[in-house]
Amino acid sequence: MAAGTLYTYPENWRAFKALIAAQYSGAQITVHSVPPHFQFGQTNKTPEFLKKFPVGKVPAFEGADGFCVFESNAIAYYVANEDLRGNTVAAAAQVLQWVSFADSEILPPASTWVFPTLGIMQYNKQATEHAKEEVKRVLVILDAHLKTRTFLVGERVTLADIAVVCSLLWLYKQVLEPAFRQPYGNVTRWFVTCVNQPQFQSVLGDFKLCEKMAQFDAKKFAETQPKKETSKKEKTPKEMKKEEKKQEKKKEEEGPNEELDECEQVLAAEPKSKDPYAHLPKSSFIMDEFKRKYSNEDTLTVALPYFWEHFDKEGWSIWYAEYRFPKELTQTFMSCNLITGMFQRLDKLRKTAFASVILSGTNNDSIISGVWVFRGQELAFTLCEDWQIDYESYTWRKLDVDSEECKTLVKEYFLWEGDFKNLGKPFNQGKIFK
Amino acid sequence: MAVAVLTELSALENTLGLPRSNKFSALAGERPVPVLQTNDGPRLVGLATIASHLVKQARKEQLLGASSEERAAVQQWLEYRVTRIDGRPSREEADGVLRELSAYLQDRVYLAGNRLTLADILAYHGLHPLMVALPVHEKERYVNVSRWFSHVQQYPGVKQHLPAIVFLKNRLYARGP
Ligand SMILES: N[C@@H](CCC(=O)N[C@@H](CS)C(=O)NCC(=O)O)C(=O)O
Repeated sequence: MAAGTLYTYPENWRAFKALIAAQYSGAQITVHSVPPHFQFGQTNKTPEFLKKFPVGKVPAFEGADGFCVFESNAIAYYVANEDLRGNTVAAAAQVLQWVSFADSEILPPASTWVFPTLGIMQYNKQATEHAKEEVKRVLVILDAHLKTRTFLVGERVTLADIAVVCSLLWLYKQVLEPAFRQPYGNVTRWFVTCVNQPQFQSVLGDFKLCEKMAQFDAKKFAETQPKKETSKKEKTPKEMKKEEKKQEKKKEEEGPNEELDECEQVLAAEPKSKDPYAHLPKSSFIMDEFKRKYSNEDTLTVALPYFWEHFDKEGWSIWYAEYRFPKELTQTFMSCNLITGMFQRLDKLRKTAFASVILSGTNNDSIISGVWVFRGQELAFTLCEDWQIDYESYTWRKLDVDSEECKTLVKEYFLWEGDFKNLGKPFNQGKIFK
Repeated sequence: MAVAVLTELSALENTLGLPRSNKFSALAGERPVPVLQTNDGPRLVGLATIASHLVKQARKEQLLGASSEERAAVQQWLEYRVTRIDGRPSREEADGVLRELSAYLQDRVYLAGNRLTLADILAYHGLHPLMVALPVHEKERYVNVSRWFSHVQQYPGVKQHLPAIVFLKNRLYARGP
């Protein structure tokens, strides 16, 4: 099975194709999309990168065994499995047909229509109207095909569905409002089914279909577009580089290659929010509800009973953490800063985590420990590079939810009261992550 | 008929990968009702109840739905199977069922949620005799049922003893898309 590193900028729909394929095949892919590992526009222009990937574009994939491949469709093919590629020559040919269809028929009009609504391309009425007609044309084709079919090729998801869904993502997100998509019900049924498969969901997050057709975002366009008239010295080096690049390109080719700039500016567009836990089944334990109880009512008589009554050990896990470098905590205030800093970095986890972290002992003889509740069965730290530091500074131990030890720890840490036998030091102060 | 529902339950055991350790019997009557005597627990009566029990026995709870809404939808379709599809429906009743299902499946791939559930499996089994008898133009008329049926029957393990039914992907009787 393939394993390796995928270079891309964050939230790149071309990279999604490989990532979704990997969810089906089980290929292990590490994504390098942000510094220090990868900086779009820089890393992919270094001689080292170009030696492996002469085109200098992303996504690009480097296998653990040194095998390198670029072009998003080729990468997705490589990390896929037999079922995704098509089990017979005929099926594989049809898969290739739809993958190519996505690139040659869907992508060009989709970009022309959608990019202005993201403020990353100038709006041109005629071009947009033409693109809309082209989009309708491909939707008619897909709709007729999907009327009698569940998926594009055969009876299960293939790379065809992955590629075509990914090429339609921006359309369904930005402009295909209910009235516009109404005649293409078969396409929407198929699209919604695909994006709700757990393998798609874990890459795309919860996908929301467009409610109202987005229009040209002139303001954003003005903000992100370096004006042609501005004099050279007002420009940032990056903008200058971009201009130069554009001119070079213009010399090389007949038309301007718009894609270069679009890519960089898609980056500037707001990242979609996505739920890293989307692949988990819904849980009966409502964290917010517990937090409300914990904040507003008596811990011992209300919040704790509520917690144990509603806790869902399949959907959540409880962890014990202890700071690994207690000797360095010479002053109590340092410890407090340490805890507060960690809570701030973990801000994004507030909906899906709860913790009571306490400082025990006194100056020169203290220890930080905590009880954490996380969504899912894994520690959340791998979700964001910023959190690595907090992860590494503690030892983490998953508690057996049904054990006496766990019951005691939860009680003492949520209450800030008790023997704290695990520490052998008296409670000094505590902080709650909520 | 008595045989059919018991055969179906054994087939379901196979589908779920269960060893054939359950002993089914049928209550005689106008419509035979399956019964399962569990080892340590109560006697379970009725297709929907027993089928749900087998799914749990096989630890494939996701087939009962992933969320509480989906679980409710699965139960609803199990009931539909027993009350509307079973019991030798008349030609008219059968048409009614196909019409309802085709409308429901217009914007859905599965009966409940976005994945195959027990609802699809049992509805598939229940509809099989009906679909076998359906002429081509009728299959085309109920295009959404046909699409759903041809998708469900290819799931590994679902078809079991039932013969595969052929559906045309190209429509013969429709004009234009
Ligand atoms: N056909 C290629 C397109 C790749 C591509 O255009 N990548 C852009 C980002 S969207 C890129 O890396 N551009 C960098 C550059 O041209 O310098 C694929 O699907 O992988």
